Amino acid sequence: MSRRELVHNLSVGEKTVRTPICPVCGSNNIVHSGHGELVCDNCGTVISEKEIDFGQEWRAFTAEEREKRSRIGEPLKPGMTTGMMSTIIDKRDINRLKLDAQRRVDALQMRKWQMRSRFQTARDRSTSQALAEISRIATPLKLPDSVKEEAATIYQKAVDAGLVRGRSIESIVAATLHVACRKFNLPIALDQITQFTRNQNKKDVARCYRLLVKDLNILMPVPDPVSYIPRIAYKLGLSEAAQDKAREIIREAQQMGITAGKDPAGLAAAAIYVVSLLENNRKTQREIAGAAEVTEVTVRNRYKELVDRLNLIPVVPDNRIV
Amino acid sequence: MPKPSVRIENVVASVALGQPINLSKTAEMISTVEYEPEQFPGLVYRLSRPKTATLIFSSGKMVCTGAKSEEDVKKTVKQIVSALQNKGIIKDGKPEYQIQNVVASANLYAEINLESLALLLDNVLYEPEQFPGLIYRMAEPKVVLLIFSSGKMVCTGAKKEEAVKAAVDKIYAKLADLGVLNLKGKTA
Repeated sequence: MSRRELVHNLSVGEKTVRTPICPVCGSNNIVHSGHGELVCDNCGTVISEKEIDFGQEWRAFTAEEREKRSRIGEPLKPGMTTGMMSTIIDKRDINRLKLDAQRRVDALQMRKWQMRSRFQTARDRSTSQALAEISRIATPLKLPDSVKEEAATIYQKAVDAGLVRGRSIESIVAATLHVACRKFNLPIALDQITQFTRNQNKKDVARCYRLLVKDLNILMPVPDPVSYIPRIAYKLGLSEAAQDKAREIIREAQQMGITAGKDPAGLAAAAIYVVSLLENNRKTQREIAGAAEVTEVTVRNRYKELVDRLNLIPVVPDNRIV
Repeated sequence: MPKPSVRIENVVASVALGQPINLSKTAEMISTVEYEPEQFPGLVYRLSRPKTATLIFSSGKMVCTGAKSEEDVKKTVKQIVSALQNKGIIKDGKPEYQIQNVVASANLYAEINLESLALLLDNVLYEPEQFPGLIYRMAEPKVVLLIFSSGKMVCTGAKKEEAVKAAVDKIYAKLADLGVLNLKGKTA
C-alpha cells in the first residue's frame, strides 16, 4: 500500500477502518504523536505530518461558556437527515443584537435560502412534519426521547417502504409510537396514544400498526402484564411490597397459562385488586379500573379467574365483596 | 389424541351471468326478494334451502353468501338462474361462478400457549390489548388463521374447501412440533 493510500485511509472515515501498516517496517504499531503527526512506534518513521486536528480550538469551563462558544447544534438524531441540521441562520448577531441594515438584508436572504434548501426531497419534508407530530403526541404521554427517536426511525422506514402514501401522517405516526413503546416494553395502550390524535380513530391507527408490523417485519415482544403494574400502583399509591406481590400473582397465572389472550392491563389491574384485598388495604374495583384504564367488568372477570385458578382466598374483612 | 375438527361456516362466491338484469322488474315478479334501491343498489334473493342470500346487481353480477359448501353455491346459482329464466327476466345463459372466500371454524381439542407461539412463529400478530386471538398468515395454502388459547380457530381467506382442511392439519402439526399444545385440554 502506498503512503498516499495509507494516509487517505486514515483520514477519510471509511466504514471499515483498515489497520494502518507502516510502509517501512510493516508493523501496525502506529500512533498519533500529538503534534499532528502519524508515527510508526516501531521504527520511528513519520508516516504523515500536518494532520488536521478535528478538535475544538477553544476551551470552556462552564456549560454557559460551552454553549456560547460552540458553533454547532445538537447531535443529529435518527429521523433527521443531513439537510436538517438544527442550527439555523439567525437574523441577529451572536449577542442577540440587531445587525446593521445591509448585513441584515444579507442574513435574511441566507436564512430564506437555508429554509428553502432544508428539504431536498418530499421525504424530508414529510419526515419533518412527522417529527413534529411525534413530539406532539408523545409529549402529553411523557414518553422519553429514546422512544420518540425509535418512532422517527420506524417512520422513515415506513416512508421508504412506501407505506405512508395514501394514509394520514397522524395515523402512521401514532402507530409508529405504539410500535416504539412496545419495543421498549412501555405499558402504553393504543387507546392512550389515539387519545392525543386529532380524529381519535383507533381503528385506523390499529390498521396502520398491523401494516407496519407486517410490512417492516418488526418482531414484537408479547406485552407483559407485569410492566403495567408500577403505573397502576403508582396512581393508587400502593407500596413496593404490594407491587411485588402483584407481580408474583401474574407470574403464577402465566405459569398456569390463564393469561393467554387476555388484556395485559386488565390482568395487572386484577392482580392489584387481589393484592389490595389480601393486604387489607381495599381499593374499589372502580378505582382500580380507572387507574388501569380498563372497565370494571374486566377487572371483575380477571379477578375471578385469578382467585379461582390460583386458589387465592382473600381475607375478607366484611362481606361487601362480590 | 382427538383429531382436529373443521366446520365450514360460510362460502362466498361471485357469479357472472353475462347479461344485464332489470332489478325492478325482478322485484315485481318474484315477491320473496328484497329490493330497496334507495338503500342498496343490489337486490337480495334469499333461499331457505340451501340457506343462502344472494345479492343480484343490474350488471348481471351476483354475490352468493351464506352457503355451507361449494355444493350449496352450485345449487343456489342453479335455483336462482332457473327462477329468473322462468320469469323471462334473463335469456338462457351459462352462469360462471367463482369461489371467493371460504370461512371455517376449527377445534384442535388442546389448549394453546399463545404467548410462546407468538415468539416461535413468523408472520404472526398477537395483540392481547386489541384482540384475544393470535393472527397467523399462512403462505401455503394462502389463508389467515385466528388462533385462540382455547384451541379453537377461525380460518378465512381460503379459495377452496380442501385448502381449509390442509391449513388446519398443517398448523396442527406445526403447533404439536413447537410444543405449544396442552393436550390435557379442558381442565376447568
